[in-house]
Amino acid sequence: MIFNRFAKETRRCVVAAVEEARMLGHDSIGDEDLLLGILRADEGVAAEALSSLGVTLEWARKESEGMLSDALSSGGISWEEMRRAAGDAFEMRIPDYRKIPFSPKAKKVLERALREAVRLRDNQLGTEHVLLGILRNEDGTAIRMLARLGLSPQMLEDRLYELRGRAAS
Amino acid sequence: MDEKTRTRVGGPEDPRQGLEAVVALRRTLEALEAAQVENAFVAGWSWAQIAEVMGVSKQAVHKKHAKRIRDRYPGEPPRRKGKGE
Repeated sequence: MIFNRFAKETRRCVVAAVEEARMLGHDSIGDEDLLLGILRADEGVAAEALSSLGVTLEWARKESEGMLSDALSSGGISWEEMRRAAGDAFEMRIPDYRKIPFSPKAKKVLERALREAVRLRDNQLGTEHVLLGILRNEDGTAIRMLARLGLSPQMLEDRLYELRGRAAS
Repeated sequence: MDEKTRTRVGGPEDPRQGLEAVVALRRTLEALEAAQVENAFVAGWSWAQIAEVMGVSKQAVHKKHAKRIRDRYPGEPPRRKGKGE
């Protein structure tokens, strides 16, 4: 597949994304988990662009949990109450032996990331390309999360290019 | 949020919201099942007893939950184990 063109840092972020998905009980890896992976493991311009605009790992985890809770309450179910009723044993974490597949959205993000790398004439697929892939994925969950923080894809993209330019010079 | 008052899950008005509620419920259900089976195990229930209440075979419950729970509670057989309460 395209994995052999991943930069080392990108691999680390994908592994981190799987771990975040597992922890949050996501039974497939979504595009928002890739965002979480960058926030958790990246040390490059992608993470810098995000953090400079106030996007943190803690915030993203909470937001993801909040979206699940909101989805349930739209159906009249209180996640908090169910959680309370189940007691201390309740955790969303998916056991380690269960495999978690990539969702179609996450696959699309990675494919788009590869295209971005080609477009920018970078010879490896870096985390900034993954972030661009996330931002170009219009019906993605990550974009909706970021919008709740008042951030548009354009704002993040601009910041990313700004930091990239600075890093290159 | 007025979006919530306008649409109801199960209604045809907003399929996306309905489907997202299903996903959220599925994920929560998995966590809930794991927690309640664990609670029963800690309370000293046998796999057979747990399976009977859940309406599935003993093998099915065992296959799905035994490894995770035994990893968490090494030292069998299941015994009551209060969590500091």
